[in-house]
Amino acid sequence: MKPAPDTTSTAGGSTFDARQAAALLDQTTQQTRRRLEPAQPWLLVIRGVLVLAAFGAVWLNVRGQHPYRYPTAAVTPFVITFGILNLVATVTVARRATAGVVGRSRLRRAEIAVLAAIWVGVFAVMGVLIAAGASDAIVYGWYPVTVPLILSGLAWAGIMAARADWRACGTGLAVAVVGTVGAFAGPAGAWAVTGVGLCATLLGSAAVIVWWQRRSVVRS
Amino acid sequence: MTTEELDPLIHVPTRLKIVATLAALHDGDTLSFTRLQDMLGLTPGNLIIQLRKLEEAGYLSSEKTRNGSAQKTTVALTSQGRKALGVYTQALRGLLDGL
Repeated sequence: MKPAPDTTSTAGGSTFDARQAAALLDQTTQQTRRRLEPAQPWLLVIRGVLVLAAFGAVWLNVRGQHPYRYPTAAVTPFVITFGILNLVATVTVARRATAGVVGRSRLRRAEIAVLAAIWVGVFAVMGVLIAAGASDAIVYGWYPVTVPLILSGLAWAGIMAARADWRACGTGLAVAVVGTVGAFAGPAGAWAVTGVGLCATLLGSAAVIVWWQRRSVVRS
Repeated sequence: MTTEELDPLIHVPTRLKIVATLAALHDGDTLSFTRLQDMLGLTPGNLIIQLRKLEEAGYLSSEKTRNGSAQKTTVALTSQGRKALGVYTQALRGLLDGL
């Protein structure tokens, strides 16, 4: 095995000057940021388009209902499939990107448990609402579209703020704001508002990540 | 300032790549030896030699853990290493501004 020579020479034998060093520093940093990013921008764009399609399909399905009832069987499998694919793709890509990374940037078991408890709790409460005879507009419209977004967005923002990850914290807050705005749009309108809002949040996140990945460490 | 005044431990292409890669991790994170090797495209021997030099200077720390028969090594930049890279980057900026 031949060790790398301990010199300030490049592979071509020329001296490693400041300009080459700056280029190498920027190139390596940008490459590492791209490879270790758990939220890959291309996936965020695909998720943004799909969430708009899924929520838009539900909105088209329910907007003519007076009074509001619920999304019909024609559209429900589409939304559930989207939800499952979204979760699987996000987790798979994040795990691949962060393979070999150990430490603070990985979610701890307690944090995963908090996020899971929110989702389980939200649907448990939905069952309680049904049993209590709450209106269809609340149980199948306003509640499942807005409350999970508000609670999970705030929880995510809190977890990320504790890690001083302000970019991810901002995304969580944006999701919570989308849910809150959706709550004022009525049971049918909530699907459209949250669909557009989530799509904008995901596309915005992708743009911020790409900007950050390309930012020069030498020229900043 | 001249290139000779740049930190000689960092101002070597291979070590600059190692330090830049580890600096891109979140503070408090470590990276496995195998992932670092994969990302830099270096042979294990070369990587070990360069890591040892950086570790001796206090720029990075390594930890070996054993899981059954498999041994896993993780490395991370120390605060001293981050500071040194910051000084190096600042010096590079000064040199480039002077060109």
